[in-house]
Amino acid sequence: MTAAQGFEPRIIGFLCTWCSYAGADQAGGSQKPYPPNLSVVRVMCSGRVDPQFILSAFANGADGVIIMACHPGDCHYKEGNCRALQRYSMLCRVLETFGIEKERIRLEYVSASEGEIFRRIVHETVSSLRGLGPLVLPD
Amino acid sequence: MKIGIYVCTCGSTLSRTIDVPSIAQAALSFPDSPSVTTMDFICSENGRRQFEDHLKQEQPERVVVAACSPRDHETTFRRCMTNAGLNPYLLQMVNIREQIAWVTEDPDAATEKAIVAIRGAVNRVKLQQPLEKMQCEICPDVLVIGAGPAGMKAALALAEAGRTVTVVERLPFIGGLPVRFDELFPACECAPCLLDPLMGDLLHGEFDGTVELLTMAELAEVTGFYGAFNVTIRQRARHVSLHECIGCGACVEACPAATMNEFRNGTVERKAIDFAFAGALPSVPTLMEDTCVRSRGEECQACKDICPMGRDVIDLDQPDSILERHVGAIILATGAGLYDASLVTGMGKGVFSDVYDSCEFERMLSSTGPTDGQIITSRGTTPSSIAIIHCVGSLDPEHKPYCSGICCQYAFIFNHLISDRLPGTAITHFHRELVLPGKEAHSLAQQARHNQNTRFVRYESIHDLAVTATDDGKLAIHASGKLTTGDMVILCPPVIPSSGAGKIASILDIKRDQSGFFRELHGRTDAAQSPVRGIYLAGACQDPMDIRSAMLQGMASAGHVLAALKPGGIIDIEPITAEVDETRCSGCRLCISVCPYRAITFNHSHNASEINAILCRGCGTCVAACPAGAIKGHHFTSDQITAEIKGLLS
Ligand code: FES
Repeated sequence: MTAAQGFEPRIIGFLCTWCSYAGADQAGGSQKPYPPNLSVVRVMCSGRVDPQFILSAFANGADGVIIMACHPGDCHYKEGNCRALQRYSMLCRVLETFGIEKERIRLEYVSASEGEIFRRIVHETVSSLRGLGPLVLPD
Repeated sequence: MKIGIYVCTCGSTLSRTIDVPSIAQAALSFPDSPSVTTMDFICSENGRRQFEDHLKQEQPERVVVAACSPRDHETTFRRCMTNAGLNPYLLQMVNIREQIAWVTEDPDAATEKAIVAIRGAVNRVKLQQPLEKMQCEICPDVLVIGAGPAGMKAALALAEAGRTVTVVERLPFIGGLPVRFDELFPACECAPCLLDPLMGDLLHGEFDGTVELLTMAELAEVTGFYGAFNVTIRQRARHVSLHECIGCGACVEACPAATMNEFRNGTVERKAIDFAFAGALPSVPTLMEDTCVRSRGEECQACKDICPMGRDVIDLDQPDSILERHVGAIILATGAGLYDASLVTGMGKGVFSDVYDSCEFERMLSSTGPTDGQIITSRGTTPSSIAIIHCVGSLDPEHKPYCSGICCQYAFIFNHLISDRLPGTAITHFHRELVLPGKEAHSLAQQARHNQNTRFVRYESIHDLAVTATDDGKLAIHASGKLTTGDMVILCPPVIPSSGAGKIASILDIKRDQSGFFRELHGRTDAAQSPVRGIYLAGACQDPMDIRSAMLQGMASAGHVLAALKPGGIIDIEPITAEVDETRCSGCRLCISVCPYRAITFNHSHNASEINAILCRGCGTCVAACPAGAIKGHHFTSDQITAEIKGLLS
């Protein structure tokens, strides 16, 4: 697929409130800009992210989805991020069978002090999705 | 539905990047065309008042505040909602500061992103439901784990303040490590005598009825949280009644079976039914099931037959028991152990029988130890020269990187006691650093320095030392090529946390540092609190420490409990929990397996899972896991989140 000219992907990010959302806030604190393509949905824990939410994001026009979680071992609720990882791996396989590229969905670990990493992830995701072009849903 | 959007300009911080009038314009096209009110510094005292007044006047059914991060002020604005007579959970915040204005270069893009985010929030807030906080009365009772100096001190202080305390001790006796020692640094006090008043109070002081002591008991499970922990304790059978036994020892005489006594260095026998050592409190023997001849299928009632207090005092078939307690706080005072000196190669520990670690030597010095307090070699001879090696594994990245801070001091107590009991014995201290902090520690060291039979040899690295045997059966200590012979070698390894600490940490879900000590809330300002609310730390389970510090930290932990956990106090329980819709639950129990808090049980009569709202912390893992969609995550329902997603993308 070739990228559409001037295409700006729309991205939904599910951020757990304890680490990743705090990491995004930290990125804000340093006031260094990053592309505006990401819209954040705050959840208590990445373990709350139902694969349905991701499907719903794609169905409603998202070109990419990022789940951000506490680092392994650091989940505020012990192991929600392990569940998130399990569901994510399963969902990647399912989406691939539908022809949705696995690059469109990412799981990333961002701690409360990793604002810089958060920024980098947003940059990377935006540029990789710009390359991929808009999501074309299978019929 | 009447929805009010409040945009905070944060003192023009936000309006510099975001065009606020465009938001008002855009809101007209949002569902239910909400009104937009712009305010400055809503979080300030003035701003809060204005906000509350506005809410009171307008009485919106749902509220969206577009301002800073909800991590900053969600609680503040929820409080404003409450003050204005609105349910606080009918509020949704939009983070237009940290996640939009401050990180978006182009003002148009920032404004557009803010509009999108607010639209998501409006969509979501419409589906939000009023929620009520549950309240639960604090349980003022306390569990103390460990009956050493720190645990005893904490338990007695709490009892004195009128609290009901349960003390759980893994061993059959109380007093921790020092009750097994002889004299203590720095003032050469007799250890059991020093501990005796505390032990006496704990066992039969005036707090009878408020302090419950459970020996041979360990923590099995803990659920709940600060103010309301449910604790399960497993207690091994002692087989002898603590209340009826008078400690006469007739059963010990009569018992035909014996094994080596671990509390006397494993070199002296004990009977299957016996005291850990003379003077161990409670003064009631313990029957070791594996040693008793009945474990081999033989019939024996010798102890029971001879007991002068009747046949009910000893119960040969007593099972282990499981006890449940409800407490508001837990104090960990699980104490210390000693690093295994045999892991430090070349020191001869475990190779030569006259190489002792400091705990073993303490036991030898003690009148209740293996030699009844006599300093004798394994061959039964009186030593004429003794080597004491400091820092065996301490300050050593291969073993333990830290200094335990007490070893030099007890090494000089050893010096004092050896010189006292065996005058003329040559003593050599092999040391790296000498650590003698505080106003009293220097005196024993001075005494050793002035002792003409004492020598000091400083070494650089433990690799410069080696302990070997000579042909005539003595020990030889090689230090950088020089040779010292001795009849006995005493090693001073680092103090480590006691062996049960790991299991307790995993039951309570608290963290330990790289050396295994429980992590404190703050190393300087809050060393008696763990980072988990309601769990406190006392003594050497937190850091290597001497008896004085352990006692003080015991007191400090009790002080924390008394300050925080007031009888009759109420704790609010967040209503953001999960709830099962019984009619949709298929009974697969997947939720039970994913819940990190054991908050879900299966109700057989209803054939559905059930969530305990007090134990649930609202992570939502079960909600996402339920294949039937039967679990609702309050305030983060699937409908609300989906509506938000749609709002962000429409
Ligand atoms: S709380 Fe961050 S992943 Fe669970």
